Amino acid sequence: MTRYIPKAVGGLLLALSLASCQRPWVASPRLAETDVPVARAIPPDPHLEAKIIPYREQVTAKMEEIVGHAPVALGKADYQSPLGNFVVDLMLEESRSLYSGPIDMATTTNGGLRVPIPLGAVKVGTIFELMPFENELVVLTLKGSTVQEFFDQAAGVGYAPIANATYTVQGGKATAIKIGGEPFDPARNYTLVTSDYLAGGGDNLGVFRQALKTEKVGIMMRDAILQHIRKLTAQGRAIGSDTTNRVTVLP
Amino acid sequence: MINRRDFLRHAAVGTAGVSLLGLPFAAEAAQNIHLTILHTNDQHSRIDPFPDDGRKYGGMGGMARRATLVEQIRQQEPNVLLLDSGDIWQGTPYFNFFGGELEYKLMSDMRYDAATLGNHDFDNGLKGLEEQLPHAAFPFVSANYDFSKTILQNRFQPYRVFEKQGVRIGVFGLGIELEGLVSKNNFGETVYTDPVAVAREMVQELRQAQKCNLVICLSHLGYSYKEEKIDDLKLANRVAGIDLILGGHTHTFLETPELVRHESGHETLVNQVGWSGLFLGRVDFAFSRRTKQRTDVRTALVPVNTPVTTS
Repeated sequence: MTRYIPKAVGGLLLALSLASCQRPWVASPRLAETDVPVARAIPPDPHLEAKIIPYREQVTAKMEEIVGHAPVALGKADYQSPLGNFVVDLMLEESRSLYSGPIDMATTTNGGLRVPIPLGAVKVGTIFELMPFENELVVLTLKGSTVQEFFDQAAGVGYAPIANATYTVQGGKATAIKIGGEPFDPARNYTLVTSDYLAGGGDNLGVFRQALKTEKVGIMMRDAILQHIRKLTAQGRAIGSDTTNRVTVLP
Repeated sequence: MINRRDFLRHAAVGTAGVSLLGLPFAAEAAQNIHLTILHTNDQHSRIDPFPDDGRKYGGMGGMARRATLVEQIRQQEPNVLLLDSGDIWQGTPYFNFFGGELEYKLMSDMRYDAATLGNHDFDNGLKGLEEQLPHAAFPFVSANYDFSKTILQNRFQPYRVFEKQGVRIGVFGLGIELEGLVSKNNFGETVYTDPVAVAREMVQELRQAQKCNLVICLSHLGYSYKEEKIDDLKLANRVAGIDLILGGHTHTFLETPELVRHESGHETLVNQVGWSGLFLGRVDFAFSRRTKQRTDVRTALVPVNTPVTTS
Protein backbone atom coordinates (compact mmCIF):
# COMPACT_ATOMS: atom_id res chain seq x y z
CA MET A 1 0.00 0.00 0.00
CA THR A 2 1.59 3.22 -1.12
CA ARG A 3 0.21 6.62 -0.33
CA TYR A 4 1.61 10.04 -0.85
CA ILE A 5 1.03 13.33 0.86
CA PRO A 6 -0.20 15.96 -1.55
CA LYS A 7 2.38 18.71 -1.72
CA ALA A 8 0.10 21.30 -0.18
CA VAL A 9 -0.63 19.24 2.92
CA GLY A 10 2.96 18.19 3.31
CA GLY A 11 4.08 21.77 2.97
CA LEU A 12 1.65 22.93 5.62
CA LEU A 13 2.79 20.29 8.09
CA LEU A 14 6.40 21.03 7.30
CA ALA A 15 5.85 24.70 7.96
CA LEU A 16 4.20 23.94 11.26
CA SER A 17 6.91 21.54 12.24
CA LEU A 18 9.54 24.17 11.62
CA ALA A 19 7.62 26.74 13.59
CA SER A 20 7.56 24.86 16.84
CA CYS A 21 10.61 23.31 18.37
CA GLN A 22 9.61 22.92 22.02
CA ARG A 23 8.14 19.53 21.47
CA PRO A 24 10.40 17.25 19.53
CA TRP A 25 8.12 14.24 19.54
CA VAL A 26 4.75 13.94 17.91
CA ALA A 27 2.58 11.05 18.97
CA SER A 28 0.11 9.35 16.74
CA PRO A 29 -1.95 6.33 17.62
CA ARG A 30 -2.08 3.16 15.57
CA LEU A 31 -5.22 1.31 16.40
CA ALA A 32 -4.99 -2.01 14.67
CA GLU A 33 -6.34 -4.39 17.27
CA THR A 34 -7.27 -2.64 20.48
CA ASP A 35 -8.87 -5.54 22.32
CA VAL A 36 -6.75 -8.61 21.86
CA PRO A 37 -8.66 -11.74 22.89
CA VAL A 38 -6.99 -13.82 25.58
CA ALA A 39 -8.13 -16.82 23.59
CA ARG A 40 -8.12 -20.46 24.57
CA ALA A 41 -5.57 -21.23 21.85
CA ILE A 42 -2.90 -19.25 23.72
CA PRO A 43 -0.80 -21.60 25.85
CA PRO A 44 -0.52 -20.63 29.52
CA ASP A 45 2.86 -19.26 30.54
CA PRO A 46 4.52 -22.22 32.32
CA HIS A 47 6.15 -20.06 35.01
CA LEU A 48 2.87 -18.39 36.00
CA GLU A 49 0.92 -21.62 35.70
CA ALA A 50 3.34 -23.29 38.11
CA LYS A 51 2.83 -20.44 40.54
CA ILE A 52 -0.95 -20.71 40.29
CA ILE A 53 -1.20 -24.49 40.80
CA PRO A 54 -0.65 -24.63 44.58
CA TYR A 55 -3.19 -21.84 45.09
CA ARG A 56 -5.68 -23.59 42.82
CA GLU A 57 -5.25 -26.81 44.79
CA GLN A 58 -5.90 -24.92 47.99
CA VAL A 59 -9.00 -23.29 46.53
CA THR A 60 -10.30 -26.71 45.58
CA ALA A 61 -9.46 -28.08 49.02
CA LYS A 62 -11.07 -25.14 50.80
CA MET A 63 -14.24 -25.63 48.81
CA GLU A 64 -14.41 -29.07 50.40
CA GLU A 65 -14.17 -27.69 53.93
CA ILE A 66 -17.23 -28.58 56.02
CA VAL A 67 -18.55 -25.49 57.81
CA GLY A 68 -21.82 -26.73 59.24
CA HIS A 69 -24.49 -29.36 59.43
CA ALA A 70 -28.13 -29.27 58.34
CA PRO A 71 -30.39 -31.86 60.00
CA VAL A 72 -33.00 -31.13 57.32
CA ALA A 73 -32.56 -29.80 53.81
CA LEU A 74 -33.49 -26.12 53.41
CA GLY A 75 -35.43 -25.45 50.22
CA LYS A 76 -37.18 -22.41 48.84
CA ALA A 77 -40.81 -21.66 48.17
CA ASP A 78 -43.06 -18.65 47.62
CA TYR A 79 -43.47 -16.05 50.40
CA GLN A 80 -41.69 -17.95 53.15
CA SER A 81 -39.50 -21.00 53.11
CA PRO A 82 -36.82 -22.69 55.20
CA LEU A 83 -34.10 -21.42 52.86
CA GLY A 84 -35.58 -17.96 52.32
CA ASN A 85 -36.17 -17.37 56.02
CA PHE A 86 -32.76 -18.70 56.95
CA VAL A 87 -30.98 -16.35 54.57
CA VAL A 88 -32.93 -13.17 55.28
CA ASP A 89 -32.72 -13.78 59.03
CA LEU A 90 -28.96 -14.19 58.93
CA MET A 91 -28.63 -11.15 56.66
CA LEU A 92 -30.36 -9.11 59.35
CA GLU A 93 -28.39 -10.60 62.22
CA GLU A 94 -24.96 -10.35 60.60
CA SER A 95 -25.62 -6.81 59.32
CA ARG A 96 -26.79 -5.59 62.70
CA SER A 97 -23.42 -6.43 64.17
CA LEU A 98 -21.64 -4.40 61.47
CA TYR A 99 -23.95 -1.45 60.85
CA SER A 100 -24.04 1.45 63.27
CA GLY A 101 -27.78 2.18 63.22
CA PRO A 102 -30.91 0.10 63.68
CA ILE A 103 -32.02 -2.19 60.85
CA ASP A 104 -35.71 -3.03 60.69
CA MET A 105 -35.90 -5.70 58.01
CA ALA A 106 -34.03 -7.85 55.52
CA THR A 107 -34.99 -9.22 52.14
CA THR A 108 -33.57 -11.09 49.19
CA THR A 109 -35.16 -12.91 46.30
CA ASN A 110 -35.49 -16.61 45.63
CA GLY A 111 -33.88 -16.19 42.22
CA GLY A 112 -30.62 -15.30 43.91
CA LEU A 113 -30.60 -18.46 46.02
CA ARG A 114 -29.38 -20.91 43.43
CA VAL A 115 -29.47 -24.27 45.20
CA PRO A 116 -31.02 -25.65 48.41
CA ILE A 117 -28.89 -26.25 51.47
CA PRO A 118 -28.68 -30.05 51.42
CA LEU A 119 -29.26 -32.39 54.29
CA GLY A 120 -26.08 -33.21 56.16
CA ALA A 121 -22.65 -31.68 55.83
CA VAL A 122 -22.53 -28.17 54.38
CA LYS A 123 -19.30 -27.28 52.60
CA VAL A 124 -17.84 -23.92 51.64
CA GLY A 125 -18.44 -25.00 48.06
CA THR A 126 -22.15 -25.47 48.84
CA ILE A 127 -22.40 -21.85 49.89
CA PHE A 128 -20.56 -20.73 46.75
CA GLU A 129 -23.17 -22.69 44.76
CA LEU A 130 -26.00 -21.22 46.81
CA MET A 131 -24.67 -17.69 46.36
CA PRO A 132 -22.40 -17.55 43.31
CA PHE A 133 -22.87 -13.81 42.84
CA GLU A 134 -20.55 -11.16 44.13
CA ASN A 135 -23.33 -9.29 45.86
CA GLU A 136 -22.76 -7.24 48.93
CA LEU A 137 -25.14 -6.17 51.63
CA VAL A 138 -26.50 -2.64 51.72
CA VAL A 139 -28.79 -0.87 54.15
CA LEU A 140 -31.55 1.12 52.49
CA THR A 141 -33.47 3.87 54.21
CA LEU A 142 -37.01 3.80 52.82
CA LYS A 143 -39.96 6.13 53.21
CA GLY A 144 -43.15 4.59 54.64
CA SER A 145 -44.85 4.84 51.26
CA THR A 146 -41.94 2.98 49.61
CA VAL A 147 -42.13 0.28 52.27
CA GLN A 148 -45.84 -0.19 51.53
CA GLU A 149 -45.03 -0.42 47.83
CA PHE A 150 -42.32 -3.01 48.56
CA PHE A 151 -44.69 -5.16 50.62
CA ASP A 152 -47.27 -4.94 47.85
CA GLN A 153 -44.66 -6.10 45.35
CA ALA A 154 -43.57 -8.92 47.67
CA ALA A 155 -47.23 -9.92 48.02
CA GLY A 156 -47.65 -9.84 44.25
CA VAL A 157 -44.57 -11.78 43.18
CA GLY A 158 -44.11 -14.06 46.19
CA TYR A 159 -40.38 -14.49 45.67
CA ALA A 160 -39.10 -12.03 48.25
CA PRO A 161 -38.82 -13.50 51.77
CA ILE A 162 -38.69 -10.83 54.50
CA ALA A 163 -37.08 -10.99 57.93
CA ASN A 164 -38.58 -9.35 61.01
CA ALA A 165 -41.97 -8.67 59.44
CA THR A 166 -45.32 -10.36 58.93
CA TYR A 167 -48.14 -9.56 56.53
CA THR A 168 -51.26 -10.86 54.90
CA VAL A 169 -51.68 -11.19 51.16
CA GLN A 170 -55.13 -10.12 50.14
CA GLY A 171 -56.13 -9.52 46.54
CA GLY A 172 -52.49 -9.27 45.50
CA LYS A 173 -51.77 -6.57 48.08
CA ALA A 174 -50.09 -6.60 51.49
CA THR A 175 -52.27 -5.87 54.49
CA ALA A 176 -51.88 -6.20 58.26
CA ILE A 177 -48.15 -5.48 57.93
CA LYS A 178 -46.19 -5.71 61.16
CA ILE A 179 -42.53 -4.82 61.39
CA GLY A 180 -40.62 -5.97 64.45
CA GLY A 181 -43.98 -6.94 65.94
CA GLU A 182 -45.32 -3.38 65.63
CA PRO A 183 -48.01 -2.31 63.18
CA PHE A 184 -46.52 -0.70 60.10
CA ASP A 185 -46.47 3.11 60.36
CA PRO A 186 -46.61 4.69 56.89
CA ALA A 187 -45.53 8.02 58.35
CA ARG A 188 -42.04 6.91 59.36
CA ASN A 189 -38.91 5.74 57.58
CA TYR A 190 -37.66 2.16 57.82
CA THR A 191 -34.28 0.58 57.20
CA LEU A 192 -33.91 -2.64 55.24
CA VAL A 193 -30.85 -4.69 54.45
CA THR A 194 -30.64 -6.34 51.04
CA SER A 195 -28.08 -7.01 48.31
CA ASP A 196 -26.61 -4.25 46.20
CA TYR A 197 -28.06 -6.07 43.21
CA LEU A 198 -31.64 -5.74 44.45
CA ALA A 199 -30.98 -2.22 45.70
CA GLY A 200 -30.13 -1.30 42.14
CA GLY A 201 -33.50 -2.49 40.92
CA GLY A 202 -32.55 -6.09 40.11
CA ASP A 203 -35.16 -8.88 39.99
CA ASN A 204 -37.84 -6.32 39.13
CA LEU A 205 -37.82 -4.81 42.59
CA GLY A 206 -37.50 -1.33 41.13
CA VAL A 207 -39.08 0.08 44.27
CA PHE A 208 -35.70 0.03 46.03
CA ARG A 209 -34.39 2.63 43.68
CA GLN A 210 -36.55 5.10 45.61
CA ALA A 211 -34.35 4.58 48.67
CA LEU A 212 -33.57 7.81 50.51
CA LYS A 213 -30.17 6.47 51.44
CA THR A 214 -28.03 3.46 50.50
CA GLU A 215 -25.16 2.42 52.76
CA LYS A 216 -22.79 -0.50 52.39
CA VAL A 217 -22.69 -2.86 55.32
CA GLY A 218 -19.14 -3.92 54.46
CA ILE A 219 -19.68 -7.61 53.85
CA MET A 220 -20.44 -9.70 50.81
CA MET A 221 -23.67 -11.66 50.98
CA ARG A 222 -21.86 -15.00 50.64
CA ASP A 223 -19.43 -14.09 53.39
CA ALA A 224 -22.36 -13.20 55.65
CA ILE A 225 -23.86 -16.65 55.04
CA LEU A 226 -20.55 -18.41 55.65
CA GLN A 227 -19.82 -16.32 58.73
CA HIS A 228 -23.24 -17.12 60.17
CA ILE A 229 -22.95 -20.86 59.59
CA ARG A 230 -19.47 -20.90 61.13
CA LYS A 231 -20.86 -19.10 64.20
CA LEU A 232 -23.67 -21.63 64.52
CA THR A 233 -21.17 -24.46 64.30
CA ALA A 234 -18.89 -22.82 66.88
CA GLN A 235 -21.89 -22.59 69.20
CA GLY A 236 -22.69 -26.27 68.63
CA ARG A 237 -25.86 -25.39 66.72
CA ALA A 238 -27.14 -26.94 63.51
CA ILE A 239 -28.30 -25.03 60.44
CA GLY A 240 -32.00 -24.50 60.79
CA SER A 241 -34.72 -22.10 59.93
CA ASP A 242 -37.35 -20.16 61.82
CA THR A 243 -40.61 -21.58 60.55
CA THR A 244 -42.98 -19.32 62.46
CA ASN A 245 -45.69 -18.15 60.08
CA ARG A 246 -44.81 -14.79 58.52
CA VAL A 247 -47.09 -14.50 55.56
CA THR A 248 -50.77 -15.37 55.50
CA VAL A 249 -52.16 -15.75 52.00
CA LEU A 250 -55.90 -15.23 51.86
CA PRO A 251 -57.74 -16.84 48.95
CA MET B 1 -7.67 29.32 21.81
CA ILE B 2 -5.67 26.77 19.93
CA ASN B 3 -1.97 27.36 20.10
CA ARG B 4 0.38 26.14 17.44
CA ARG B 5 1.46 23.02 19.22
CA ASP B 6 -2.06 21.96 19.94
CA PHE B 7 -2.97 22.63 16.36
CA LEU B 8 -0.15 20.48 15.15
CA ARG B 9 -1.15 17.73 17.50
CA HIS B 10 -4.70 18.10 16.37
CA ALA B 11 -3.63 17.79 12.77
CA ALA B 12 -1.37 14.94 13.64
CA VAL B 13 -3.53 12.72 15.79
CA GLY B 14 -6.87 13.76 14.46
CA THR B 15 -8.35 13.80 11.09
CA ALA B 16 -8.70 10.49 9.38
CA GLY B 17 -9.03 12.27 6.04
CA VAL B 18 -5.47 13.48 6.22
CA SER B 19 -4.37 10.23 7.79
CA LEU B 20 -5.17 8.25 4.73
CA LEU B 21 -2.52 10.13 2.84
CA GLY B 22 0.45 8.72 4.69
CA LEU B 23 3.68 7.53 3.13
CA PRO B 24 4.66 3.88 3.22
CA PHE B 25 5.42 2.86 6.80
CA ALA B 26 8.44 0.72 6.03
CA ALA B 27 10.37 3.54 4.43
CA GLU B 28 10.60 5.44 7.65
CA ALA B 29 9.81 2.97 10.34
CA ALA B 30 13.39 3.02 11.44
CA GLN B 31 13.24 6.70 12.22
CA ASN B 32 10.22 6.41 14.48
CA ILE B 33 9.87 5.36 18.05
CA HIS B 34 7.07 2.94 18.71
CA LEU B 35 5.29 2.63 21.99
CA THR B 36 2.85 -0.15 22.76
CA ILE B 37 0.41 0.38 25.60
CA LEU B 38 -1.11 -2.84 26.92
CA HIS B 39 -3.83 -2.59 29.49
CA THR B 40 -6.43 -4.36 31.59
CA ASN B 41 -9.24 -3.26 33.88
CA ASP B 42 -11.60 -4.96 36.31
CA GLN B 43 -9.67 -8.20 36.44
CA HIS B 44 -11.79 -9.20 39.44
CA SER B 45 -9.43 -11.91 40.67
CA ARG B 46 -9.98 -13.93 37.52
CA ILE B 47 -6.82 -16.01 37.78
CA ASP B 48 -8.19 -18.89 35.73
CA PRO B 49 -10.04 -18.65 32.42
CA PHE B 50 -13.81 -18.31 32.45
CA PRO B 51 -15.35 -21.77 32.90
CA ASP B 52 -16.00 -23.28 29.50
CA ASP B 53 -19.62 -24.07 30.29
CA GLY B 54 -21.42 -22.40 27.44
CA ARG B 55 -21.46 -18.95 29.00
CA LYS B 56 -20.48 -15.90 27.01
CA TYR B 57 -16.68 -15.72 26.72
CA GLY B 58 -16.50 -19.25 28.20
CA GLY B 59 -12.95 -20.61 28.02
CA MET B 60 -11.43 -17.16 27.50
CA GLY B 61 -9.08 -15.23 29.76
CA GLY B 62 -6.67 -16.53 32.38
CA MET B 63 -3.63 -14.76 33.76
CA ALA B 64 -1.08 -17.39 32.66
CA ARG B 65 -2.34 -17.03 29.09
CA ARG B 66 -2.24 -13.28 29.33
CA ALA B 67 1.39 -13.58 30.42
CA THR B 68 2.15 -15.53 27.24
CA LEU B 69 0.42 -12.90 25.13
CA VAL B 70 2.24 -10.05 26.86
CA GLU B 71 5.56 -11.82 26.43
CA GLN B 72 4.92 -12.37 22.72
CA ILE B 73 4.19 -8.68 22.30
CA ARG B 74 7.27 -7.72 24.32
CA GLN B 75 9.37 -9.75 21.90
CA GLN B 76 7.86 -8.00 18.90
CA GLU B 77 7.76 -4.45 20.23
CA PRO B 78 10.66 -2.40 21.54
CA ASN B 79 8.73 -0.28 24.03
CA VAL B 80 5.87 -1.71 26.03
CA LEU B 81 3.95 -0.30 28.98
CA LEU B 82 1.58 -2.66 30.79
CA LEU B 83 -1.07 -0.87 32.84
CA ASP B 84 -4.18 -1.65 34.88
CA SER B 85 -7.17 0.54 35.71
CA GLY B 86 -8.34 -1.01 38.96
CA ASP B 87 -10.64 -3.59 40.51
CA ILE B 88 -7.89 -6.15 40.39
CA TRP B 89 -9.71 -7.82 43.26
CA GLN B 90 -12.99 -9.51 44.15
CA GLY B 91 -14.84 -12.03 42.10
CA THR B 92 -13.37 -15.49 42.62
CA PRO B 93 -12.50 -17.66 45.64
CA TYR B 94 -8.83 -16.80 45.05
CA PHE B 95 -9.56 -13.40 46.52
CA ASN B 96 -11.79 -14.72 49.28
CA PHE B 97 -9.15 -17.17 50.42
CA PHE B 98 -5.86 -15.40 49.72
CA GLY B 99 -6.79 -11.73 49.98
CA GLY B 100 -5.36 -10.74 46.59
CA GLU B 101 -1.75 -11.84 46.97
CA LEU B 102 -1.78 -14.12 43.94
CA GLU B 103 -3.25 -11.40 41.73
CA TYR B 104 -0.42 -9.03 42.71
CA LYS B 105 2.26 -11.71 42.36
CA LEU B 106 1.16 -12.68 38.86
CA MET B 107 0.87 -9.05 37.76
CA SER B 108 4.40 -8.54 39.07
CA ASP B 109 5.57 -11.54 37.05
CA MET B 110 4.00 -10.05 33.95
CA ARG B 111 5.93 -6.87 34.73
CA TYR B 112 3.04 -4.49 35.06
CA ASP B 113 4.35 -0.94 35.03
CA ALA B 114 1.53 0.70 37.00
CA ALA B 115 -2.04 0.29 38.20
CA THR B 116 -4.63 2.46 39.84
CA LEU B 117 -7.13 1.60 42.57
CA GLY B 118 -10.71 0.54 41.92
CA ASN B 119 -13.46 0.51 44.52
CA HIS B 120 -13.17 -3.26 44.98
CA ASP B 121 -9.50 -2.91 45.82
CA PHE B 122 -10.77 -1.50 49.13
CA ASP B 123 -12.87 -4.61 49.81
CA ASN B 124 -10.56 -5.88 52.53
CA GLY B 125 -10.21 -2.42 53.97
CA LEU B 126 -7.11 -0.23 54.02
CA LYS B 127 -5.46 -2.89 56.17
CA GLY B 128 -6.12 -5.58 53.58
CA LEU B 129 -4.59 -3.38 50.92
CA GLU B 130 -1.59 -2.54 53.06
CA GLU B 131 -0.96 -6.21 53.76
CA GLN B 132 -0.86 -7.12 50.06
CA LEU B 133 1.19 -4.18 48.76
CA PRO B 134 4.50 -5.96 49.41
CA HIS B 135 3.42 -8.55 46.80
CA ALA B 136 3.08 -5.88 44.11
CA ALA B 137 6.35 -5.10 42.36
CA PHE B 138 4.55 -2.40 40.38
CA PRO B 139 3.47 1.03 41.68
CA PHE B 140 -0.10 2.21 42.19
CA VAL B 141 -0.82 5.70 40.94
CA SER B 142 -3.63 7.61 42.58
CA ALA B 143 -4.02 11.36 42.18
CA ASN B 144 -7.45 12.07 43.65
CA TYR B 145 -7.52 9.93 46.78
CA ASP B 146 -5.88 11.56 49.76
CA PHE B 147 -4.56 8.86 52.05
CA SER B 148 -2.68 11.25 54.32
CA LYS B 149 -4.92 10.55 57.32
CA THR B 150 -4.75 6.78 56.85
CA ILE B 151 -2.32 3.92 57.32
CA LEU B 152 -1.61 4.12 53.58
CA GLN B 153 -0.08 7.58 53.88
CA ASN B 154 2.82 7.98 51.42
CA ARG B 155 2.25 4.55 49.89
CA PHE B 156 1.00 5.84 46.54
CA GLN B 157 2.11 8.52 44.14
CA PRO B 158 -0.19 10.61 41.98
CA TYR B 159 1.73 9.77 38.82
CA ARG B 160 4.73 8.04 37.35
CA VAL B 161 6.87 9.09 34.43
CA PHE B 162 8.29 6.39 32.17
CA GLU B 163 10.98 7.04 29.60
CA LYS B 164 11.31 4.96 26.46
CA GLN B 165 14.11 5.86 24.02
CA GLY B 166 13.87 9.47 25.11
CA VAL B 167 10.08 9.67 24.90
CA ARG B 168 8.55 10.61 28.22
CA ILE B 169 5.20 9.10 29.18
CA GLY B 170 3.31 10.39 32.20
CA VAL B 171 0.78 8.06 33.81
CA PHE B 172 -1.59 9.28 36.53
CA GLY B 173 -4.47 7.58 38.30
CA LEU B 174 -8.05 8.63 39.11
CA GLY B 175 -10.45 6.78 41.38
CA ILE B 176 -14.21 6.82 41.74
CA GLU B 177 -16.10 8.41 44.64
CA LEU B 178 -16.03 5.84 47.42
CA GLU B 179 -18.90 7.15 49.53
CA GLY B 180 -21.97 4.99 48.92
CA LEU B 181 -19.97 2.53 46.83
CA VAL B 182 -17.54 1.22 49.41
CA SER B 183 -18.33 0.66 53.06
CA LYS B 184 -17.00 3.47 55.24
CA ASN B 185 -15.33 0.80 57.39
CA ASN B 186 -13.23 -0.14 54.40
CA PHE B 187 -12.07 3.23 53.10
CA GLY B 188 -11.81 4.94 56.47
CA GLU B 189 -10.40 8.46 56.26
CA THR B 190 -9.49 8.26 52.58
CA VAL B 191 -10.59 11.55 51.00
CA TYR B 192 -11.89 11.66 47.43
CA THR B 193 -11.23 14.85 45.51
CA ASP B 194 -12.73 16.15 42.28
CA PRO B 195 -11.20 14.21 39.35
CA VAL B 196 -11.59 17.13 36.92
CA ALA B 197 -9.60 19.60 39.01
CA VAL B 198 -6.99 16.97 39.82
CA ALA B 199 -6.67 15.91 36.17
CA ARG B 200 -6.03 19.53 35.15
CA GLU B 201 -3.24 19.74 37.72
CA MET B 202 -1.81 16.45 36.51
CA VAL B 203 -1.79 17.57 32.87
CA GLN B 204 -0.05 20.79 33.87
CA GLU B 205 2.51 18.95 35.97
CA LEU B 206 3.19 16.20 33.46
CA ARG B 207 3.28 18.37 30.35
CA GLN B 208 5.09 21.39 31.75
CA ALA B 209 7.21 20.34 34.71
CA GLN B 210 7.83 16.74 33.68
CA LYS B 211 8.09 17.47 29.93
CA CYS B 212 6.01 14.46 29.03
CA ASN B 213 5.31 13.68 25.40
CA LEU B 214 2.31 11.52 26.18
CA VAL B 215 -0.13 11.74 29.08
CA ILE B 216 -2.12 8.68 30.10
CA CYS B 217 -4.85 8.57 32.73
CA LEU B 218 -5.64 5.28 34.46
CA SER B 219 -9.24 5.86 35.45
CA HIS B 220 -11.65 3.86 37.53
CA LEU B 221 -14.39 6.47 37.11
CA GLY B 222 -16.47 4.50 34.60
CA TYR B 223 -16.97 4.96 30.88
CA SER B 224 -20.22 6.89 30.60
CA TYR B 225 -23.21 7.73 32.78
CA LYS B 226 -26.43 9.40 31.73
CA GLU B 227 -26.52 11.35 34.96
CA GLU B 228 -24.10 14.09 35.94
CA LYS B 229 -21.69 11.70 37.68
CA ILE B 230 -18.18 12.16 36.29
CA ASP B 231 -17.08 9.56 33.74
CA ASP B 232 -14.25 9.09 31.25
CA LEU B 233 -16.05 10.78 28.37
CA LYS B 234 -16.95 13.80 30.51
CA LEU B 235 -13.38 13.94 31.80
CA ALA B 236 -12.02 14.04 28.25
CA ASN B 237 -14.49 16.78 27.39
CA ARG B 238 -13.62 18.90 30.40
CA VAL B 239 -9.87 18.46 30.64
CA ALA B 240 -7.60 19.19 27.70
CA GLY B 241 -4.26 17.50 27.46
CA ILE B 242 -4.84 13.84 28.26
CA ASP B 243 -3.87 11.69 25.28
CA LEU B 244 -5.26 8.40 26.48
CA ILE B 245 -7.74 7.45 29.18
CA LEU B 246 -7.66 3.78 30.07
CA GLY B 247 -10.88 3.23 31.94
CA GLY B 248 -12.63 0.69 34.10
CA HIS B 249 -15.47 0.16 36.58
CA THR B 250 -18.34 -0.06 34.06
CA HIS B 251 -16.99 -3.29 32.49
CA THR B 252 -17.45 -1.69 29.09
CA PHE B 253 -16.39 -3.63 26.01
CA LEU B 254 -15.39 -1.17 23.28
CA GLU B 255 -14.76 -2.36 19.76
CA THR B 256 -12.55 0.62 19.20
CA PRO B 257 -11.40 3.42 21.48
CA GLU B 258 -13.64 6.47 21.58
CA LEU B 259 -12.08 9.67 20.30
CA VAL B 260 -13.16 12.74 22.28
CA ARG B 261 -12.34 16.19 20.99
CA HIS B 262 -11.98 18.88 23.62
CA GLU B 263 -13.10 22.38 22.64
CA SER B 264 -9.43 23.38 22.60
CA GLY B 265 -8.92 20.91 19.78
CA HIS B 266 -7.01 18.42 21.92
CA GLU B 267 -8.06 14.87 21.29
CA THR B 268 -8.27 12.11 23.84
CA LEU B 269 -8.65 8.43 23.16
CA VAL B 270 -10.74 6.51 25.69
CA ASN B 271 -10.44 2.76 25.89
CA GLN B 272 -11.73 0.01 28.18
CA VAL B 273 -11.62 -3.76 27.76
CA GLY B 274 -14.63 -5.21 29.54
CA TRP B 275 -13.57 -7.18 32.58
CA SER B 276 -12.01 -10.38 33.92
CA GLY B 277 -8.99 -10.20 31.62
CA LEU B 278 -10.92 -11.67 28.70
CA PHE B 279 -9.16 -9.21 26.43
CA LEU B 280 -5.86 -7.42 26.60
CA GLY B 281 -6.21 -3.81 25.56
CA ARG B 282 -3.66 -2.52 23.11
CA VAL B 283 -2.99 0.97 21.79
CA ASP B 284 0.12 1.67 19.75
CA PHE B 285 1.68 5.07 19.31
CA ALA B 286 4.32 6.08 16.81
CA PHE B 287 6.48 9.04 17.74
CA SER B 288 8.31 10.91 15.06
CA ARG B 289 11.12 13.29 15.70
CA ARG B 290 10.19 16.52 14.02
CA THR B 291 13.15 17.76 12.10
CA LYS B 292 13.58 19.72 8.95
CA GLN B 293 13.15 16.49 7.03
CA ARG B 294 9.81 16.41 5.42
CA THR B 295 9.73 12.64 5.66
CA ASP B 296 9.69 12.85 9.42
CA VAL B 297 6.46 14.74 9.46
CA ARG B 298 4.66 11.85 8.00
CA THR B 299 4.37 9.71 11.09
CA ALA B 300 1.63 11.97 12.16
CA LEU B 301 -0.46 10.51 9.42
CA VAL B 302 -1.71 7.25 10.76
CA PRO B 303 -5.21 5.97 10.24
CA VAL B 304 -7.38 6.25 13.32
CA ASN B 305 -10.18 4.35 11.69
CA THR B 306 -8.49 1.08 10.90
CA PRO B 307 -11.03 -1.70 11.27
CA VAL B 308 -10.71 -3.48 14.56
CA THR B 309 -10.55 -7.22 14.84
CA THR B 310 -12.60 -8.66 17.63
CA SER B 311 -13.37 -12.20 18.56
